[in-house]
Amino acid sequence: MTEVEPRPPPMISHTYEFGARDVVRLAGPTLIIVAAFALVMHAGRMLGTWPAPRPTLDVDRTLLLHQVEAASTRQDATVLLLGDSSCLTGVDAAALGARIGERVLNLATLSYLDLEAHALLLRDYLAHNPRPLRAVVLLMHPEALRRPGPEDYHARLLDSLRQRTEPTPAGGLHPRLLRLLGLDVFRGRFLCRWLPAPLPGAFGRFYGFSADLETFLASRHGSLVEPEPQPFRGNAEYRLAPTLESASRAFRRQVPPDTAFFAGITPVPAAFAGPGYPDRRDALLEQWGRWLRADALLSGLPATLPDLAFAKTTHLNAGGARHYTGQLARELERRLPAP
Amino acid sequence: MLFNSHVFLLFFAAFLLLYWLARANLRTRNALIVAASYVFYGWWDARFLALILLSTALDYGVGLALARTPQPGPRKRWLALSLVGNLGILGFFKYFNFFAGSAEAALARLGLSVPLPALNVVLPVGISFYTFQTMGYAIDVYRGALPPTRNLLNFMAYVAFFPQLVAGPIERGRDLLPQFERPLHLGRARLDEGLWLMLWGMFKKVVVADNLAPVVDLAYQGDPGGAPAVILGTLAFALQIYGDFSGYSDIARGAAAMLGFDLMVNFNLPYTATNLREFWQRWHISLSTWLRDYLYISLGGNRRGPGRTCVNLVITMLLGGLWHGAAWNFVLWGLWHSAGLAAHRAFRNRRLPPRANPKPARPPRVATRVASWAATFGFVLYGWLLFRARSLDQIAALTRSLGDWTAPPWLGSALVNVTAFALPLVLMELWQHRQGSLLAPLRLPRWRRAVLQAALLLAIVMFWTKDQPPFLYFQF
Repeated sequence: MTEVEPRPPPMISHTYEFGARDVVRLAGPTLIIVAAFALVMHAGRMLGTWPAPRPTLDVDRTLLLHQVEAASTRQDATVLLLGDSSCLTGVDAAALGARIGERVLNLATLSYLDLEAHALLLRDYLAHNPRPLRAVVLLMHPEALRRPGPEDYHARLLDSLRQRTEPTPAGGLHPRLLRLLGLDVFRGRFLCRWLPAPLPGAFGRFYGFSADLETFLASRHGSLVEPEPQPFRGNAEYRLAPTLESASRAFRRQVPPDTAFFAGITPVPAAFAGPGYPDRRDALLEQWGRWLRADALLSGLPATLPDLAFAKTTHLNAGGARHYTGQLARELERRLPAP
Repeated sequence: MLFNSHVFLLFFAAFLLLYWLARANLRTRNALIVAASYVFYGWWDARFLALILLSTALDYGVGLALARTPQPGPRKRWLALSLVGNLGILGFFKYFNFFAGSAEAALARLGLSVPLPALNVVLPVGISFYTFQTMGYAIDVYRGALPPTRNLLNFMAYVAFFPQLVAGPIERGRDLLPQFERPLHLGRARLDEGLWLMLWGMFKKVVVADNLAPVVDLAYQGDPGGAPAVILGTLAFALQIYGDFSGYSDIARGAAAMLGFDLMVNFNLPYTATNLREFWQRWHISLSTWLRDYLYISLGGNRRGPGRTCVNLVITMLLGGLWHGAAWNFVLWGLWHSAGLAAHRAFRNRRLPPRANPKPARPPRVATRVASWAATFGFVLYGWLLFRARSLDQIAALTRSLGDWTAPPWLGSALVNVTAFALPLVLMELWQHRQGSLLAPLRLPRWRRAVLQAALLLAIVMFWTKDQPPFLYFQF
């Protein structure tokens, strides 16, 4: 009988020549420094040692921050523009001021915010600017008038920017980790102050970085140019949201009694709006004006403009804004009370 | 699956645990590596696995056939089968549309309208890397430089080893294959090195490369914004592609080190080079040595006189350029570098002392070294312009704009960004260069190193995005 050779034992794969203690010795000091950093960041925030947050990380945040800061610093404007993004991009405040011989400031923000937000900016402005305003002009797009309320994210963002606090982190592990490690404090309060953030897409190509957007906004007295043409979207069945009535009345209460208050509805692309829209716009403006108790309604402004004047349904392009600014100037020249 | 994704971090953590469980049996370990590597690769598209299996089977079979075939004629035919098979896969997926489109355009210029079919196929990730790796194995076996492996599992692990599968380093069989055949030892030093490499590689990708990308896009999208914008954008691209690709290589080497494997150094401070030859000895070393050993030397290298050497250089660099992508700008990039290498070679040969009087050359003065570095870097930089441009028209427009010194309004912000994100990389590399070691940070005192690592870790977390921009070299 032949003897069967035993199978050789399987070859060992790999050996570990370190233990848990070595891992702790390797990673421990690094983690201690990370924890110390987080502690210092949170302590500085709680004690109020650090400068206020300036989270200029994208278009929305840069824009909102600029308008919040403009509203809370001395500007001495005589005409104040307020409203949604159609007012922000549709009126060149600097050009308007030159036309009517007034110092015009545009504090319009984004379509995602509502009248309550615009009222807050007005209140901030009045608190920091004792010189009386000659007029407050409120311009909104019909699409914003039918929106039931603001976007939660933007409302919270505006709130945090006004309060000089970090915005509530979005859901998910990474934003929570940023907050835990104090990195939101570091980025928003220190890094953003000297490191401009690149802007995405067409905004990046037109403006460059957040700092360049801020410079542009300052040079145009708070107005913006919409850089990105987009196909027209949405539906043109405009109406007033039921919540707009109380918001309009609340807004009116913020306008000082000795200041003229004008309201208008910004234009819609003619082909998109359809032939019956101008009458509809007049009816909407009249109803909204009653709620606002405006001193005058800017009904002389066009309800529609040719499609070529628009970058998208709600925003005029640069040429359209030039044209519309001229028309607004004529309206205001007619209606502004004598000094 | 991208290294800079949450999924990879979870995958790698789970793999380390399974790897620890498999420590007693080499076969189990290699099977685990193959399975994990296929999951890693199939995460993009499971259909890609068929290609990697085809490439593996082809060169495993060719290796065995070469071992059984002593006669030169049949051996050549087996090698030809491997080359045709691998280059066929690469050509079909990567170059078909390019050559068909170029032929169609050339015929159209002659007045002939011949519509050629275009393939609507996705380029499989990492195909250029693993086909070159398996082809290198077949050539080594053919040359007798490497005994063929008979163990299919080991060969599968060699081809698909996930840390370096999709963007290299392109490992040689003689270096990596034996590591699948023997037990490995994972000491504290190896773990330390692995962790450092992964951290530094991730920093180069997530913090440096991804944050320089918008500056590059600004300069290269739309109309050229004048010389300052083009120069700054190209400089940003030089650092972006370096941070991106060397970052990947470092993460690959770090992940492999944490498993006990050694992968080759793929980048050795390339921007410190003071001549073009040195640049190519430091940049994408695994590809440049592959091209040297399997193509340039096969063509005759520098053994057949200056004229033929020049032709060999051009062929090698041209194919090196085409390896990066099927487009004319990569061809131009290859030609640009071959011209530079040929010029450097001619210049060096003129300056070399005659052999009869081999006086040792004096070390160059600092000013000479700085001038050489600046000339080399400038040459490489224009090469990156050719590489980054998307068409020959864009190359012409960007080159023309180098004569226009108007600056776009965003130049100041872009300069701040480039400085802020490039500075840590530049300082680290200068320090590594002075220390003469890529692993110099491991020799720092404990707490100083902890501060450095904590800063890197915090920066990675801060700039981590859920978009996970892919590594640039994945497209090659």
